[in-house]
Amino acid sequence: MTQNGGGFAHTNNWAVLVCASRYWFNYRHMANALGMYRTVKRLGIPDSNIILMLADDAACNSRNKYPGCVFSNKGRHLDLYGDNIEVDYRGYEVTVENFLRVLTGRMDPSVPRSKRLLTDDRSNIFVYMTGHGGNEFLKFQDNEEISAFDIADAFEQMWQKKRYNEIFFMIDTCQATTMYSKFYSPNVLATGSSQIRENSYSHENDNDIGVAVIDSYTHYVLEFMEGINKTSQTTMQDLFDSYDVDKIHSHPGVRTDLFNRDIRHALVTDFFGGVAQAEVLPHTPLEFTMSTNDASEKPHIVPSVDAFPFFEGNTTEPQNAEYGSHDTSLAHPFALQFIADVTSGKSQSNITYRTARAWVSVILLLSLVGWVGSRGR
Amino acid sequence: MDFHVAFPALVAGRLLLAFTSLPEVLNNDHQLSSPLTSYSRLQEGVYLFQQGFDPYSGGPFRHSPLLLSVFSTVFPLTRFTSPILWTICDAVAAWALVQIWRARQNVASSPRDVLIAASYLLNPYIFLPSLAFSTSSLENALCLSALMCASQGRTSAALMAFALLVHLSLPSLVLMFPLLLLLLSSPVSHLVSPRPLSANLRQLYPLSAEFAGYFVALFAMATLVCGNTSWVEKTWGASLLLPDLTPNPGLWWYFFTEMFDHFRPFFLMVFSVHLLIYVAPVCIKYQHDILYATYLLAGVLATFKAYPTLSDPGLFLSMTALFPETYSYLRHPIVTTLLHLHASLLLPLFHSLWLTQGTGNANFFYASTLVFGMANGAALLDAMWAGLRAAVGELKGGYEVVQE
Repeated sequence: MTQNGGGFAHTNNWAVLVCASRYWFNYRHMANALGMYRTVKRLGIPDSNIILMLADDAACNSRNKYPGCVFSNKGRHLDLYGDNIEVDYRGYEVTVENFLRVLTGRMDPSVPRSKRLLTDDRSNIFVYMTGHGGNEFLKFQDNEEISAFDIADAFEQMWQKKRYNEIFFMIDTCQATTMYSKFYSPNVLATGSSQIRENSYSHENDNDIGVAVIDSYTHYVLEFMEGINKTSQTTMQDLFDSYDVDKIHSHPGVRTDLFNRDIRHALVTDFFGGVAQAEVLPHTPLEFTMSTNDASEKPHIVPSVDAFPFFEGNTTEPQNAEYGSHDTSLAHPFALQFIADVTSGKSQSNITYRTARAWVSVILLLSLVGWVGSRGR
Repeated sequence: MDFHVAFPALVAGRLLLAFTSLPEVLNNDHQLSSPLTSYSRLQEGVYLFQQGFDPYSGGPFRHSPLLLSVFSTVFPLTRFTSPILWTICDAVAAWALVQIWRARQNVASSPRDVLIAASYLLNPYIFLPSLAFSTSSLENALCLSALMCASQGRTSAALMAFALLVHLSLPSLVLMFPLLLLLLSSPVSHLVSPRPLSANLRQLYPLSAEFAGYFVALFAMATLVCGNTSWVEKTWGASLLLPDLTPNPGLWWYFFTEMFDHFRPFFLMVFSVHLLIYVAPVCIKYQHDILYATYLLAGVLATFKAYPTLSDPGLFLSMTALFPETYSYLRHPIVTTLLHLHASLLLPLFHSLWLTQGTGNANFFYASTLVFGMANGAALLDAMWAGLRAAVGELKGGYEVVQE
């Protein structure tokens, strides 16, 4: 097992969503990123765990006939901007340097928390990039570019500094798959919208907005994600199987060689959702003296403990054979001590001693009250 | 209506209400129970105690160890026993109020008994916390029992009940001095004919010693239950150190949420001493009718206590029924009533706006506690005025009372 496990080893989810191009005619790139933003939020990743980088403001653009709104379909059915949005890097702050600083965490101390990627070695990160790209490069802001080597090195720095458990890298640009061709760090799953020497196409225009509102690849991915909710057991393999070359008009690619798990067992919500996973303590024989009195409609420390773990993979999983060895990492030391105390004999005598003291005290109290009452005067 | 019919009817009505699902709804309401009196905390503490853990080592449990011992041994708190216990407490308190009235009027029974019992049992400030199973109802019952025994001249019983009360709720110590004086004088109404206190003050010493004796005995029993004295800081210390800033209808919590730590000890001292400064002046001024002094100090407690619930002003307002001779001298009863009505509507409204809906903030609830404080203050001031004004009586034309 690697240092980070894999399988059930992630405890938190982050998303880095980057739209690297500006200007009104790149509206669709903003809509791509916002569509992904809405999806990961819907599936449970909170704003505090999302870094949203939008190189231009489409919603409040003077050319926008629907101010404050960004739509991703013809007919404008769903506003992706709206209320409750947090854009972390906006406009000219979206640069190659800032993007790399976000990934590697090497920032000036004055940078606020909301602009930092505060991941740890149990974080799964979803990195989505969209814009204009080419063979092993992606254009930022129309004046600079990031290369595939830069991102690969950034991921390696993250691996060395234990800043991720698994990364899912998705990119929607022309010649997208070249961008992940240079990765060399473990636990990275990557997918792109088109192969080398192939363009990615936009999906549809809206007549009133006047520009293309979404890209094909992202549109079909989002459509697939519409069927996912927080409890969904859909796997990444299902996502990749849903790619339809005729509809997307390009050949999407997938890179799994760096990914340690079988993608047939990796859930979509492992990356897109903020699903909390409960770690159940291993089976210990707990005997709880359920007292005769009902003061425990209260927290009974529930030992329904031979429970199955709620994560995927209780079917196959050679990894789960190590379940036993994860005991110490799963159970918090205090909890173990508590269980040990309760089940040990010393607490039984403790309880009887306490009950005896309580009874003596009550008898004394009642006798005092009775004596005083009977005194009369 | 005959007292012997009406009283059981009222108690039965209360019992029926207690057996509905209303208690679950009201259980965690911040106006009806405070961190010192909450039923869920009591259950938690009893459960922890029975599982062998020290309930005072954690956060929430702040009840007295005596309650811990009683409810974990002889009287388990279940869905059936709790309503019965709280109804019995209310019945005892109402009965005690009636007995105080009878002692004050020096009669065995009077036509007004039903009204007195109803003023306690039908007072929403009393029965709502009782339905929420807040232990402040127990405290009210003990307070009224102590006053009843004192009015009937039963010293030991009064002192025992009062020792239990102080044990459960430390701020009630404010009532000690007037209670002792009540034991030395009589509860019979002298508001309209004041004369200096005729009691022999030397007798205070043996009474105080007896009270101290009961108090120390209870302290010993409480320490026995716990095994150590860690409970003191958690229970009595809460009223003095204010560790828990859960919102309640009192005036302390908001003040201390926004206070810098540097000033905390000073203001804790100020607020605690504030309660004590009322004792001597009120007792001196109303020495002719000490029961009235007790009533006023109950009002002071209701307004300025550290962790009040609605039971405390409820006790004060219900005790108003004992002093009908003052009603015609109240200057602004309608204003007081409207303030109370206003506050009692505003408190749950702003609480829900702040904590349930989230469209308001703490200042909303704080404002409603200020209105509530004003309502209590108005009632207290009016009662103080009327108590003294009653001595002056009817005025001849052209005269005005400026100060008594």
